[in-house]
Amino acid sequence: MGTILLMGAGLQTTVTGPTYDPDAQLFFNAQTAAGVTLTTTEKDAVNQWVVDSKAAGIWTKFKAIYPMVGSTATSQKFNLKNPLDTNAAFRLSFIGGGTHSSNGYQPNGINAYADTFLVPSTTLTLNSQHISFYSRTNSNGTEVEMGCNNAGLNPNTLLEIRTAGTTYVSLAANGYATYVDANSLGFYIGNRTASNVTKLFKNNTAVTTSANGSASNPINSISIGALNSGFTKQYYTTKQCAFASIGDGLTDAEALAFYNAVNAFQVSLARNV
Amino acid sequence: MKLTDITREEYTTYVGLLTVEQKDELVGQMYAPDCFFNPIQDNADNWVISIEEMEYCTNELFLWVKDLPLILYVPKENPFPPVGEN
Repeated sequence: MGTILLMGAGLQTTVTGPTYDPDAQLFFNAQTAAGVTLTTTEKDAVNQWVVDSKAAGIWTKFKAIYPMVGSTATSQKFNLKNPLDTNAAFRLSFIGGGTHSSNGYQPNGINAYADTFLVPSTTLTLNSQHISFYSRTNSNGTEVEMGCNNAGLNPNTLLEIRTAGTTYVSLAANGYATYVDANSLGFYIGNRTASNVTKLFKNNTAVTTSANGSASNPINSISIGALNSGFTKQYYTTKQCAFASIGDGLTDAEALAFYNAVNAFQVSLARNV
Repeated sequence: MKLTDITREEYTTYVGLLTVEQKDELVGQMYAPDCFFNPIQDNADNWVISIEEMEYCTNELFLWVKDLPLILYVPKENPFPPVGEN
Protein backbone atom coordinates (compact mmCIF):
# COMPACT_ATOMS: atom_id res chain seq x y z
CA MET A 1 0.00 0.00 0.00
CA GLY A 2 1.24 3.48 -0.69
CA THR A 3 -0.39 6.87 -0.39
CA ILE A 4 -4.08 7.44 -0.93
CA LEU A 5 -5.29 10.98 -1.57
CA LEU A 6 -8.84 11.64 -0.47
CA MET A 7 -10.41 14.80 -1.87
CA GLY A 8 -13.88 16.23 -1.70
CA ALA A 9 -15.94 19.13 -0.40
CA GLY A 10 -12.86 21.26 -0.17
CA LEU A 11 -11.03 18.78 2.03
CA GLN A 12 -7.77 17.08 1.20
CA THR A 13 -6.54 14.24 3.37
CA THR A 14 -3.55 12.00 2.82
CA VAL A 15 -3.67 8.49 4.24
CA THR A 16 -0.35 6.69 4.18
CA GLY A 17 -0.26 2.91 4.57
CA PRO A 18 2.74 0.67 5.00
CA THR A 19 5.07 0.33 2.06
CA TYR A 20 6.00 -3.29 1.59
CA ASP A 21 8.89 -4.93 -0.18
CA PRO A 22 7.90 -5.37 -3.86
CA ASP A 23 8.08 -9.17 -3.67
CA ALA A 24 5.98 -9.23 -0.52
CA GLN A 25 3.52 -6.89 -2.22
CA LEU A 26 3.20 -9.27 -5.18
CA PHE A 27 2.31 -12.02 -2.72
CA PHE A 28 -0.33 -9.82 -1.10
CA ASN A 29 -1.70 -8.86 -4.51
CA ALA A 30 -2.11 -12.54 -5.38
CA GLN A 31 -3.98 -13.11 -2.13
CA THR A 32 -6.25 -10.16 -2.80
CA ALA A 33 -6.95 -11.35 -6.34
CA ALA A 34 -7.92 -14.72 -4.91
CA GLY A 35 -10.37 -13.10 -2.51
CA VAL A 36 -8.16 -13.46 0.57
CA THR A 37 -7.77 -10.74 3.18
CA LEU A 38 -4.63 -11.19 5.25
CA THR A 39 -4.40 -9.39 8.57
CA THR A 40 -1.96 -6.54 9.02
CA THR A 41 0.01 -8.74 11.42
CA GLU A 42 0.30 -11.45 8.76
CA LYS A 43 1.33 -8.97 6.09
CA ASP A 44 3.91 -7.37 8.34
CA ALA A 45 5.33 -10.78 9.26
CA VAL A 46 5.62 -11.90 5.64
CA ASN A 47 7.13 -8.60 4.62
CA GLN A 48 9.71 -8.72 7.40
CA TRP A 49 10.64 -12.27 6.43
CA VAL A 50 11.25 -11.14 2.86
CA VAL A 51 13.29 -8.18 4.05
CA ASP A 52 15.31 -10.39 6.40
CA SER A 53 15.97 -13.05 3.77
CA LYS A 54 17.15 -10.45 1.29
CA ALA A 55 19.38 -8.85 3.90
CA ALA A 56 20.89 -12.28 4.58
CA GLY A 57 21.46 -12.86 0.88
CA ILE A 58 19.33 -16.00 0.74
CA TRP A 59 16.22 -14.78 -1.09
CA THR A 60 17.69 -15.82 -4.44
CA LYS A 61 18.34 -19.34 -3.15
CA PHE A 62 14.69 -20.29 -2.94
CA LYS A 63 12.61 -21.98 -5.61
CA ALA A 64 9.53 -22.17 -3.43
CA ILE A 65 8.54 -20.57 -0.13
CA TYR A 66 5.31 -21.48 1.63
CA PRO A 67 4.69 -19.18 4.64
CA MET A 68 1.31 -20.82 5.35
CA VAL A 69 -0.44 -17.61 6.35
CA GLY A 70 -4.15 -16.92 6.45
CA SER A 71 -6.62 -19.56 7.50
CA THR A 72 -7.73 -21.20 4.28
CA ALA A 73 -6.40 -23.45 1.56
CA THR A 74 -6.57 -20.51 -0.81
CA SER A 75 -4.44 -18.24 1.38
CA GLN A 76 -1.89 -20.98 2.10
CA LYS A 77 -1.43 -22.25 -1.44
CA PHE A 78 0.73 -19.43 -2.80
CA ASN A 79 4.47 -19.64 -3.34
CA LEU A 80 5.92 -16.43 -1.93
CA LYS A 81 8.79 -16.59 -4.41
CA ASN A 82 6.48 -16.67 -7.41
CA PRO A 83 2.88 -16.07 -6.36
CA LEU A 84 1.13 -17.01 -9.56
CA ASP A 85 -1.85 -19.35 -9.39
CA THR A 86 -0.28 -21.99 -11.63
CA ASN A 87 1.39 -25.35 -11.26
CA ALA A 88 4.45 -23.98 -13.05
CA ALA A 89 4.82 -21.40 -10.29
CA PHE A 90 4.79 -24.20 -7.71
CA ARG A 91 1.50 -23.10 -6.23
CA LEU A 92 0.28 -25.78 -3.84
CA SER A 93 -2.68 -28.03 -4.51
CA PHE A 94 -4.18 -29.38 -1.31
CA ILE A 95 -5.30 -32.97 -1.70
CA GLY A 96 -7.40 -34.99 0.74
CA GLY A 97 -8.44 -33.86 4.21
CA GLY A 98 -6.49 -31.68 6.57
CA THR A 99 -7.36 -28.28 7.95
CA HIS A 100 -6.10 -24.73 7.59
CA SER A 101 -5.83 -22.19 10.37
CA SER A 102 -3.79 -19.18 11.40
CA ASN A 103 -1.26 -21.68 12.77
CA GLY A 104 -0.67 -23.27 9.36
CA TYR A 105 -1.59 -26.38 7.41
CA GLN A 106 -2.59 -29.37 9.51
CA PRO A 107 -2.49 -32.65 7.52
CA ASN A 108 -4.53 -35.49 8.98
CA GLY A 109 -2.14 -38.45 8.76
CA ILE A 110 -4.66 -40.33 6.63
CA ASN A 111 -4.81 -38.93 3.11
CA ALA A 112 -3.85 -35.24 3.23
CA TYR A 113 -0.94 -33.66 1.41
CA ALA A 114 -0.04 -30.70 -0.75
CA ASP A 115 1.52 -31.11 -4.17
CA THR A 116 4.21 -28.50 -4.82
CA PHE A 117 4.58 -29.48 -8.50
CA LEU A 118 8.30 -28.92 -7.99
CA VAL A 119 10.19 -31.82 -9.55
CA PRO A 120 13.76 -32.13 -8.30
CA SER A 121 15.08 -33.65 -11.53
CA THR A 122 14.00 -30.60 -13.51
CA THR A 123 14.37 -27.83 -10.92
CA LEU A 124 17.00 -28.62 -8.32
CA THR A 125 20.77 -28.77 -8.61
CA LEU A 126 22.06 -32.22 -7.68
CA ASN A 127 24.71 -31.13 -5.19
CA SER A 128 23.21 -27.87 -3.95
CA GLN A 129 19.71 -28.11 -2.56
CA HIS A 130 17.62 -27.78 0.59
CA ILE A 131 14.15 -28.53 1.85
CA SER A 132 12.70 -27.08 5.06
CA PHE A 133 9.67 -27.66 7.26
CA TYR A 134 8.49 -25.90 10.42
CA SER A 135 6.71 -28.45 12.59
CA ARG A 136 4.28 -27.37 15.30
CA THR A 137 3.41 -30.94 16.29
CA ASN A 138 5.26 -33.29 18.57
CA SER A 139 4.72 -36.84 17.32
CA ASN A 140 6.72 -39.97 16.77
CA GLY A 141 4.96 -41.90 14.02
CA THR A 142 6.10 -43.24 10.66
CA GLU A 143 5.50 -40.02 8.80
CA VAL A 144 7.23 -38.11 6.03
CA GLU A 145 6.76 -34.36 6.24
CA MET A 146 7.86 -33.59 2.70
CA GLY A 147 9.51 -35.44 -0.13
CA CYS A 148 9.42 -37.71 -3.14
CA ASN A 149 11.16 -40.65 -4.75
CA ASN A 150 10.93 -42.64 -7.94
CA ALA A 151 7.91 -44.95 -7.69
CA GLY A 152 9.03 -46.25 -4.32
CA LEU A 153 12.61 -46.67 -5.47
CA ASN A 154 15.75 -44.68 -4.80
CA PRO A 155 16.73 -41.93 -4.89
CA ASN A 156 14.80 -40.10 -2.19
CA THR A 157 14.51 -36.43 -1.42
CA LEU A 158 12.72 -36.19 1.91
CA LEU A 159 12.44 -34.98 5.46
CA GLU A 160 11.09 -37.60 7.83
CA ILE A 161 10.86 -35.87 11.19
CA ARG A 162 11.08 -38.15 14.18
CA THR A 163 9.96 -41.64 13.29
CA ALA A 164 10.53 -43.91 16.29
CA GLY A 165 12.80 -41.29 17.78
CA THR A 166 14.91 -40.69 14.69
CA THR A 167 14.77 -37.92 12.10
CA TYR A 168 15.85 -38.78 8.57
CA VAL A 169 16.95 -36.55 5.74
CA SER A 170 17.80 -37.61 2.21
CA LEU A 171 18.58 -35.29 -0.67
CA ALA A 172 18.88 -36.91 -4.09
CA ALA A 173 20.37 -39.91 -2.37
CA ASN A 174 19.94 -43.62 -1.83
CA GLY A 175 20.61 -43.37 1.90
CA TYR A 176 19.88 -41.11 4.82
CA ALA A 177 21.46 -38.80 7.32
CA THR A 178 19.90 -39.54 10.70
CA TYR A 179 19.49 -37.77 14.01
CA VAL A 180 18.18 -39.09 17.32
CA ASP A 181 15.47 -36.56 17.99
CA ALA A 182 13.89 -35.88 21.38
CA ASN A 183 10.86 -34.18 19.87
CA SER A 184 9.52 -33.11 16.50
CA LEU A 185 8.97 -29.45 17.24
CA GLY A 186 10.71 -26.62 15.44
CA PHE A 187 12.34 -25.72 12.19
CA TYR A 188 14.12 -28.41 10.19
CA ILE A 189 16.38 -27.80 7.21
CA GLY A 190 17.74 -30.68 5.15
CA ASN A 191 20.68 -29.27 3.22
CA ARG A 192 23.11 -30.61 0.61
CA THR A 193 26.13 -28.53 -0.36
CA ALA A 194 28.31 -31.14 -2.08
CA SER A 195 28.12 -34.68 -3.45
CA ASN A 196 29.29 -35.95 -0.06
CA VAL A 197 27.91 -33.34 2.34
CA THR A 198 24.38 -33.46 3.73
CA LYS A 199 23.46 -31.59 6.89
CA LEU A 200 20.37 -31.54 9.02
CA PHE A 201 19.67 -28.34 10.91
CA LYS A 202 17.17 -28.27 13.73
CA ASN A 203 16.44 -24.70 14.72
CA ASN A 204 19.79 -22.93 15.07
CA THR A 205 21.98 -26.04 15.26
CA ALA A 206 23.53 -28.37 12.69
CA VAL A 207 22.58 -31.62 14.40
CA THR A 208 23.89 -34.03 11.78
CA THR A 209 26.50 -33.98 9.06
CA SER A 210 26.66 -36.94 6.71
CA ALA A 211 28.87 -38.02 3.81
CA ASN A 212 25.87 -39.79 2.29
CA GLY A 213 26.53 -39.42 -1.43
CA SER A 214 24.23 -37.91 -4.00
CA ALA A 215 22.84 -40.20 -6.70
CA SER A 216 20.29 -38.36 -8.83
CA ASN A 217 17.30 -36.14 -8.36
CA PRO A 218 13.89 -37.88 -8.16
CA ILE A 219 11.51 -37.46 -11.06
CA ASN A 220 8.32 -36.95 -9.03
CA SER A 221 7.19 -33.69 -7.48
CA ILE A 222 7.84 -32.97 -3.82
CA SER A 223 4.79 -33.27 -1.59
CA ILE A 224 4.24 -31.54 1.72
CA GLY A 225 2.51 -33.82 4.20
CA ALA A 226 3.46 -37.14 2.63
CA LEU A 227 6.01 -38.90 0.45
CA ASN A 228 5.18 -38.73 -3.24
CA SER A 229 6.17 -42.01 -4.85
CA GLY A 230 4.41 -41.12 -8.06
CA PHE A 231 1.01 -42.73 -8.32
CA THR A 232 1.18 -43.66 -4.65
CA LYS A 233 1.50 -41.32 -1.68
CA GLN A 234 2.84 -42.79 1.54
CA TYR A 235 3.66 -41.92 5.14
CA TYR A 236 1.00 -39.23 5.57
CA THR A 237 2.00 -36.93 8.40
CA THR A 238 0.11 -35.46 11.33
CA LYS A 239 2.59 -32.65 11.83
CA GLN A 240 1.28 -29.13 11.40
CA CYS A 241 3.29 -27.14 8.90
CA ALA A 242 3.84 -23.43 9.63
CA PHE A 243 6.48 -22.86 6.93
CA ALA A 244 8.15 -24.89 4.20
CA SER A 245 10.64 -24.17 1.45
CA ILE A 246 12.62 -25.76 -1.35
CA GLY A 247 15.73 -24.32 -2.91
CA ASP A 248 19.48 -24.29 -3.30
CA GLY A 249 22.00 -25.44 -0.75
CA LEU A 250 22.87 -23.06 2.07
CA THR A 251 26.08 -22.33 3.91
CA ASP A 252 26.01 -22.80 7.65
CA ALA A 253 25.79 -19.04 8.10
CA GLU A 254 22.93 -18.83 5.61
CA ALA A 255 21.10 -21.67 7.34
CA LEU A 256 21.41 -19.83 10.64
CA ALA A 257 20.16 -16.61 9.10
CA PHE A 258 17.29 -18.57 7.53
CA TYR A 259 16.36 -20.01 10.93
CA ASN A 260 16.54 -16.59 12.55
CA ALA A 261 14.23 -15.10 9.93
CA VAL A 262 11.74 -17.97 10.18
CA ASN A 263 11.79 -17.90 13.98
CA ALA A 264 11.15 -14.16 14.02
CA PHE A 265 8.33 -14.73 11.54
CA GLN A 266 6.70 -17.35 13.76
CA VAL A 267 7.14 -15.23 16.88
CA SER A 268 5.47 -12.29 15.20
CA LEU A 269 2.53 -14.55 14.35
CA ALA A 270 2.48 -15.96 17.91
CA ARG A 271 2.80 -19.51 16.60
CA ASN A 272 6.41 -20.34 17.39
CA VAL A 273 7.10 -23.64 19.20
CA MET B 1 -22.41 -45.07 11.78
CA LYS B 2 -22.67 -41.61 10.19
CA LEU B 3 -20.78 -38.33 10.28
CA THR B 4 -23.12 -36.94 12.93
CA ASP B 5 -22.39 -39.84 15.27
CA ILE B 6 -18.73 -39.06 15.99
CA THR B 7 -16.87 -36.42 17.94
CA ARG B 8 -14.10 -34.21 16.57
CA GLU B 9 -11.58 -36.21 18.55
CA GLU B 10 -12.58 -39.26 16.50
CA TYR B 11 -11.99 -37.63 13.12
CA THR B 12 -8.77 -39.52 12.45
CA THR B 13 -10.20 -42.78 13.78
CA TYR B 14 -12.94 -43.12 11.19
CA VAL B 15 -13.20 -42.68 7.43
CA GLY B 16 -16.05 -42.61 4.95
CA LEU B 17 -16.56 -45.79 2.95
CA LEU B 18 -16.91 -45.44 -0.83
CA THR B 19 -18.00 -47.79 -3.58
CA VAL B 20 -15.66 -48.05 -6.55
CA GLU B 21 -18.14 -46.03 -8.59
CA GLN B 22 -18.24 -43.29 -5.97
CA LYS B 23 -14.44 -43.28 -5.82
CA ASP B 24 -14.30 -42.76 -9.57
CA GLU B 25 -16.67 -39.82 -9.26
CA LEU B 26 -14.54 -38.06 -6.67
CA VAL B 27 -11.06 -38.43 -8.14
CA GLY B 28 -9.76 -35.04 -9.32
CA GLN B 29 -12.78 -33.14 -8.00
CA MET B 30 -12.81 -30.29 -5.47
CA TYR B 31 -14.81 -30.62 -2.27
CA ALA B 32 -14.11 -27.01 -1.28
CA PRO B 33 -12.14 -24.13 -2.81
CA ASP B 34 -8.58 -25.30 -3.54
CA CYS B 35 -9.16 -28.65 -1.80
CA PHE B 36 -9.38 -31.89 -3.77
CA PHE B 37 -10.83 -35.24 -2.79
CA ASN B 38 -8.29 -37.99 -2.28
CA PRO B 39 -9.85 -41.46 -2.11
CA ILE B 40 -7.34 -43.98 -0.80
CA GLN B 41 -7.46 -47.68 0.00
CA ASP B 42 -7.28 -48.91 3.56
CA ASN B 43 -5.60 -52.10 4.73
CA ALA B 44 -8.53 -54.18 3.45
CA ASP B 45 -8.50 -52.37 0.08
CA ASN B 46 -11.71 -50.47 0.85
CA TRP B 47 -11.89 -47.10 -0.88
CA VAL B 48 -12.26 -44.37 1.73
CA ILE B 49 -12.07 -40.61 2.24
CA SER B 50 -11.34 -38.66 5.41
CA ILE B 51 -13.97 -37.23 7.72
CA GLU B 52 -12.69 -33.73 6.89
CA GLU B 53 -13.50 -34.18 3.20
CA MET B 54 -17.01 -35.19 4.22
CA GLU B 55 -17.58 -32.41 6.74
CA TYR B 56 -16.04 -29.56 4.78
CA CYS B 57 -17.53 -30.50 1.40
CA THR B 58 -19.31 -27.49 -0.07
CA ASN B 59 -19.39 -28.69 -3.66
CA GLU B 60 -23.07 -29.16 -4.37
CA LEU B 61 -22.33 -32.02 -6.75
CA PHE B 62 -20.86 -34.12 -3.98
CA LEU B 63 -22.82 -33.29 -0.86
CA TRP B 64 -23.81 -36.95 -0.76
CA VAL B 65 -20.41 -37.68 0.81
CA LYS B 66 -21.79 -36.31 4.07
CA ASP B 67 -24.03 -39.38 4.26
CA LEU B 68 -21.35 -41.99 3.67
CA PRO B 69 -21.18 -44.83 6.18
CA LEU B 70 -18.18 -44.63 8.48
CA ILE B 71 -15.71 -47.40 9.21
CA LEU B 72 -12.67 -47.56 11.46
CA TYR B 73 -9.55 -46.53 9.57
CA VAL B 74 -6.84 -49.16 9.35
CA PRO B 75 -3.96 -47.91 7.19
CA LYS B 76 -1.94 -50.00 4.81
CA GLU B 77 1.35 -51.04 6.29
CA ASN B 78 4.42 -49.50 4.69
CA PRO B 79 7.99 -50.67 5.03
CA PHE B 80 10.08 -48.48 7.28
CA PRO B 81 12.01 -46.36 6.63
CA PRO B 82 11.06 -45.64 3.03
CA VAL B 83 14.33 -46.88 1.59
CA GLY B 84 14.21 -47.64 -2.09
CA GLU B 85 15.02 -51.05 -3.46
CA ASN B 86 17.10 -50.36 -6.53
